[in-house]
Amino acid sequence: MTYRTHALKALTAIVALVLMAGCGSGSTGGTSTGGNAGAPVHGGNLVFAAVQDAQSMNATTVFDNNSIWILEQIFQPLYTVTNNGKGEMPWLATGYKISANKKVYTFTLRPGVKFSNGKPMTSADVKFSIDQNRKAAKGWAYLDTAIKSVQDPTPGTVVINLKYPWAPILADLSLFANGIVPNNYGGQTEAQFYTHPIGTGPFKWDYWHKGSALKLVRNPFYWQKGKPYLNSVTWTDVPNQNTRELQLKGSQAQIDQTPAWSTVASLKSTQSVKMDLFNSTQTNYLAFNELRKPFQDVHVRRAISLAIDRNALVKAVLFGNGKPANSLFPPQVPFYDPSTPGYQFNLAAAKKQMAQSSVPHGFSTTLLIAAGNSDYLTIGTILQAELKPLGIKVNIQQLDPNTANADEQSLKYDMTLTLWTMDIPDPDELATFAVDPTSGARSFFTAYNNPLVVKDTHLAEKTLNTAKRQQLYNVVQTGAAQDAFMAFLYYSPYPYATTSNVHGFYVTPLGNMHMENVWLSK
Amino acid sequence: MSFVGRRLLQLVPVAVGVTIVVFFMIHLIPGDPALTILGIHATPKSIAILRHEWGLNRPLISQYWLFLDRLLHGNLGQSLIYNVPASTLILQRLPATIWLIVYAAVIAILISVPLAMIAATRKDGIRDQVVRAVPLLGLGMPTFWVGFLLLTLFGANLRWFPVGGYGTGLVGHLHYMFLPALTVAIALAPVVIRSLRASMLTVLGADYITTARSKGVPGLRLFVRHVLRNAVIPAITVLGINIGFLIGGTVIIENVFAIPGIGQLMINSIFQRDFPVVQGVTLVFAVMVVLVNLLADMTYASLDPRVSFDR
Repeated sequence: MTYRTHALKALTAIVALVLMAGCGSGSTGGTSTGGNAGAPVHGGNLVFAAVQDAQSMNATTVFDNNSIWILEQIFQPLYTVTNNGKGEMPWLATGYKISANKKVYTFTLRPGVKFSNGKPMTSADVKFSIDQNRKAAKGWAYLDTAIKSVQDPTPGTVVINLKYPWAPILADLSLFANGIVPNNYGGQTEAQFYTHPIGTGPFKWDYWHKGSALKLVRNPFYWQKGKPYLNSVTWTDVPNQNTRELQLKGSQAQIDQTPAWSTVASLKSTQSVKMDLFNSTQTNYLAFNELRKPFQDVHVRRAISLAIDRNALVKAVLFGNGKPANSLFPPQVPFYDPSTPGYQFNLAAAKKQMAQSSVPHGFSTTLLIAAGNSDYLTIGTILQAELKPLGIKVNIQQLDPNTANADEQSLKYDMTLTLWTMDIPDPDELATFAVDPTSGARSFFTAYNNPLVVKDTHLAEKTLNTAKRQQLYNVVQTGAAQDAFMAFLYYSPYPYATTSNVHGFYVTPLGNMHMENVWLSK
Repeated sequence: MSFVGRRLLQLVPVAVGVTIVVFFMIHLIPGDPALTILGIHATPKSIAILRHEWGLNRPLISQYWLFLDRLLHGNLGQSLIYNVPASTLILQRLPATIWLIVYAAVIAILISVPLAMIAATRKDGIRDQVVRAVPLLGLGMPTFWVGFLLLTLFGANLRWFPVGGYGTGLVGHLHYMFLPALTVAIALAPVVIRSLRASMLTVLGADYITTARSKGVPGLRLFVRHVLRNAVIPAITVLGINIGFLIGGTVIIENVFAIPGIGQLMINSIFQRDFPVVQGVTLVFAVMVVLVNLLADMTYASLDPRVSFDR
């Protein structure tokens, strides 16, 4: 009949149109040819498929990692983290002198540094920037509490006066929140400035289509001659990890942030892709709320720590791409002690600890985790099985992430999974956060309190002698391990996949990326 | 007052009702946007500072009146996370979602009409069986799975289409949004095909069709002017209802295809407790559902002169 013929013709026409539209609309990305690295090549626009959108470019108040790693391409501090994450190197300053009483640091600024609007950077800009961070009460000001005042005696010199000798001062100054902005925000209000921020970094502002893409373009006034190599970097918001992987394979994006652990092996064997696992400072923990029985009992905490097979967790969650944790500190943090006696799997020893505890026959408890976190659900399921021989029945409670976070921070949980990554190349921030019950975090929200550990943590802050600091932090790490206030689960790397034409891409253990070193081969 | 005017007036109580329900629901569930911003660095002091800045330490009723007052002046409030007007975020993201819905509806119609025609003109034959069975695969498969299959084949492997995104300009949007729209259309089409087939069968059996055929009206003209026009009315209702559900259900497709639409904005805002944006997006959703249903009714009336909604 005629209707069928017309219908078939219509369908055929639609299919043909689709094929033409698909084929005729140009390529969706360049092909990755890989090939030899050779000398860096200038040019190219790199697309970075990110897990989520940035939130803000205000370095003094933002805590979101995606925002931080982007704004670090715009703003630079006086010192920056070394590639191994364990120290600081001169950046916008070239060096410093320290007074005899260790409370006055005189920094020499790097000559020839300009902002992306062409204006030279001076000490007035540095003073303004650090003072702004010191005032950010809802932000990162707490890391600058040791600073008494900042002075700008000459355009090329900055003097920082401390309230007391402070070992982590260079590490604190290397924090992105102490990045340098124009004095007085160049005449704008703070809010106006951060809609189109100006810095000394390798890239400058282009646009931000919220929820879609944020683009930075090359800063022509950048102080490192010949850099950056790229014309631009665009961070796209691609929340689905499968989509990010497909974009990478289709060369629509050149960097895939945090591919799934389950795909690492296959990405390593994909010809057009480079799969990197960068050393990180990320450590995962199982936290115990010592305000709730029976977790105030050290034998219970030790028993649980001893019953956890960390190798099994690494295999199940990270697909083998990590290692069991032995210390509160990760290996990439200065003063990490590899001999810290963090509890490792030993079921017989776990049972002995339980026998000595206040609940020798076991108990029921709840593990709080954020809903939608498949890694945490896997860990929780494994813990349920591993704690069963001790008579401990674990119920997994999944809550919306915001609610889980709120409950953790108000100590409305029995056990919960948590993690830490370093913001500065110094253990002070982590140690204070984790073991000091009077810090805002109440010992990582566990209510843990060991006065000796707290005392040594605060002593270490003001001890400039490296050997003595090491000794103090050894006590902190050993004490924290023996008290088992948290079960240290595993250390994991930062996984990043790039197309094979990306060169020079490196992520420090703190997560910083120097995109000025990245280039694309043809 | 005309039918359209009455229906548009209905928007007011719908919108008010929606704002009340959403406002109190989102504020009453546990969780704090200050914690989202501050994360593990939150201290009681910094939380208090942020909550004071945002007015969240005021009584709930007082916050609601403030919201309503601002709404009456066209102000949806400021996003707590992005610190820009909620209306700016919504207006930036709305076009992508509208593109997805309209494009999906068009593709669904383009697929459904010929297939329904093939099925209806060979009732119970092999073509009819295939047309009725095969699209059910699309209905049965999760949309995110269909999306990934299309992305893998046509995006990453064949590189005929981009792997996600929204594109720029008309041609860019048509190109980038084809796969996501097709994914949605594959889920919509089975329902529309079945509805259309059923009503076509009814119309094809009518006396006036037999008369028209015997008078020598050519096949395509007969089909378009007499069969389709009468058969499509129930299908429009089905399509309208499904699009209404789709408005709130775009989040999965937007997530898979990295489309910066309001579905994804809504989910992120709920997780982050970005109250002004949640309230604003919900209001937009409510308005869109009412408008889509109104459009369906108006299309109904334009196709069938017997239908009149004016008193």
